[in-house]
Amino acid sequence: MKLNRRFFLVALSTLTFLSFTKQSYADVTEIKKKGSIIVGVKDSLYPFGFVDEKTRRLQGYDIDFANEIGKKLGVKVELKAVTSANRIPLLSEENVDLLICTMTITPERAKEINFSYPYFISKQKFIVKKGSVKSLKDLDDKKIGTTKGSTSEKNAAAKLPNAKIISYDDYPQAYLAMQQEKVFAITTDESILAGILSRSIKKKDFELSSFDISKEPYGVGVNKKNPELLKIVNQTLLEMEKNGKANETFTKWFGPKSQVPLVRDFKIVP
Amino acid sequence: MSATQFDLSVVLHGKYAEWLYEGLITTLQLSSISCVLAFFLGLNIAIMRMTSFTPVRWFAQCYLEFFRNTPLIVQLFFWYFGSYQILPKPINDFLNQYNFEFVAAVIALTFYTSAFIAEDIRSGITAIPKEQMEASRSSGFSYLRSMHYIILPQAVRHTIPPLINQFLNLTKNSSMAMVIGVGELTYQARQIESQAFKSFEAFFAATFIYICISFSITILVTWYDKKVLNPLGKGTP
Amino acid sequence: MESIFDFSVISDNFLQLLIGRYPHGPLGGLALTLILAFISVILSIFGGLILGLLCISRNKFISLPIIAIVNIVRAMPLLMVIFWMFFILPSITGGKIPENTTVICALSIFTSCYISQIVIAGIASIPRGQTEASISTGLTYWQSMRYIILPQGLRNMIPSFVNQFVSLIKDTSLGYIVGVSEITQVAMQINNRTQIHSAEIFIFLAFIYFIICFIFTSLSRWLEKSLSWKKVI
Repeated sequence: MKLNRRFFLVALSTLTFLSFTKQSYADVTEIKKKGSIIVGVKDSLYPFGFVDEKTRRLQGYDIDFANEIGKKLGVKVELKAVTSANRIPLLSEENVDLLICTMTITPERAKEINFSYPYFISKQKFIVKKGSVKSLKDLDDKKIGTTKGSTSEKNAAAKLPNAKIISYDDYPQAYLAMQQEKVFAITTDESILAGILSRSIKKKDFELSSFDISKEPYGVGVNKKNPELLKIVNQTLLEMEKNGKANETFTKWFGPKSQVPLVRDFKIVP
Repeated sequence: MSATQFDLSVVLHGKYAEWLYEGLITTLQLSSISCVLAFFLGLNIAIMRMTSFTPVRWFAQCYLEFFRNTPLIVQLFFWYFGSYQILPKPINDFLNQYNFEFVAAVIALTFYTSAFIAEDIRSGITAIPKEQMEASRSSGFSYLRSMHYIILPQAVRHTIPPLINQFLNLTKNSSMAMVIGVGELTYQARQIESQAFKSFEAFFAATFIYICISFSITILVTWYDKKVLNPLGKGTP
Repeated sequence: MESIFDFSVISDNFLQLLIGRYPHGPLGGLALTLILAFISVILSIFGGLILGLLCISRNKFISLPIIAIVNIVRAMPLLMVIFWMFFILPSITGGKIPENTTVICALSIFTSCYISQIVIAGIASIPRGQTEASISTGLTYWQSMRYIILPQGLRNMIPSFVNQFVSLIKDTSLGYIVGVSEITQVAMQINNRTQIHSAEIFIFLAFIYFIICFIFTSLSRWLEKSLSWKKVI
């Protein structure tokens, strides 16, 4: 046993050493040479990124932006499903080149990765049973569902110190837990919640809270080692705003005729 | 230069250390409660598996095959999300008032582990010579009584090392409870990863704790094997 | 009477459960589960044999570190091994590693460590006299292993191997947690989308795994019987 322990320490320190010798290769020329860019997106989050039942293809607001960036670079877009918990590690480990997955820009995250200009701005709200909640106070000692690794989790914990926050792998899973009365309310960005509600069979029973607890600007995540790619992403976003593409995409998914009607009260600006 | 610096102190003090500690406690609670329940359930299934009454034996057989041959993670999802459709509403309401995540994890771990424990106990029982059962039956004990007083006490002694191994597996398997939102050790390590981006430190600490648990249990088994089962240093007969 | 279950959710999404988003996206679903399991099984047979032989190597500088590593891996939950692979692999290769590869590596290493224990036990079950006899006929240690001991030992190990592979097939479901789109992940995605058919989806999922694993469990039992019969002859 004694020997085993010594080797265990040796092995662990080897691992420690190995983990510092990371190197990076991916840059814009590499992506162009490869002919494809890997973009991390959500895969069951209507209307940002979801699989269409008939065609089994991924589509959504985020995916339209991913395709525009791919077009600008002149490369094929490979979409990869990520969760809120694994997306930043995936980007840092360079398993994906870009993250377009309803990711809020925060100072903590900005230490790890670079963010583009915000391409969507949302507010954090709650889905609750109809008529059960008037103000934030009604939620304070309840079980609240949200998603691992999201800003919603942090905000909720800060605003509702007595609530029990339960984090699931993804938002729809949290909503399912709510329908089954395992949590009292779920919280995240209005746009996501509205998307979830619009697709729900039981939407009559639930509503969005009237109050919000924070503003959530979404950015495209780019690896810090790749500033050139960030420049191109930002350029694409500004161009999309200028030529009306950004507005068009918004109307496509959130316009008055869509299932998730929202008002576009933001513009993509540096 | 990347911002990644190995700094274990992040997870040894303050908020994140508390999270890990909470995780450890939950892991230990989860595994010990499930362990006790799985032992008794497994014992009953093992006995049912060996009765001469065919329907009961078949039921036990199906139970064993089903729970051994499906992944734990699927069972966890089934108990957590699927039970809503199956259980009557009052029971659901009752469970949801409490910590249903934890309860569902205990149920899933108990059923899963009990199937493995039942097999271990059964092979422990079959290791006891048949004549003992015959002798006790002929001296007037019923089947259950001779099981209880004659066979089981001997069998359990020999099944303790494999049982402790199952407990070890159970502790490791409890890490999967994170998928339904139980705040055990792996879940907390993952929380630290996503909130503080201190993945390396968090996983290092969690792994270290798991290894400590595993090694201390392994030492216990080795000790039991040497001191209790083979006190004279002979091999098992 | 209306049944509480409505399995139409399975038939509606059957193709997605089988092959995921293929051909418009990466292959997934049951096909990916089987591929992951198959590759990992092959790798862990070799990995297990190599680790097992290194563990009983007479050179302490080889055997002790290997024994230590095997014991550490066996003390960890598989989930942790998978998370570690996400750190270790990129630092070894210096580039990107797809999740599928990472999960295959984690599963193979994890299973290899367990199989190495079976290999050690299998070799120990062959009387020592055989090694001594074959060495005294002029074979080297490794030659006697290769031609005399292993072929006999392997036969005893096969049922335990198959049992270990059943665990491996079940373990591929952990790919869900790290975003590998194998059948559990696809099922969860459908569950997220349809919202009201959880029981049906997970019963079906359990059933699929059960069929695959049960075939192998039965195989292992049959092997155990038929091999022990041969030994008696």
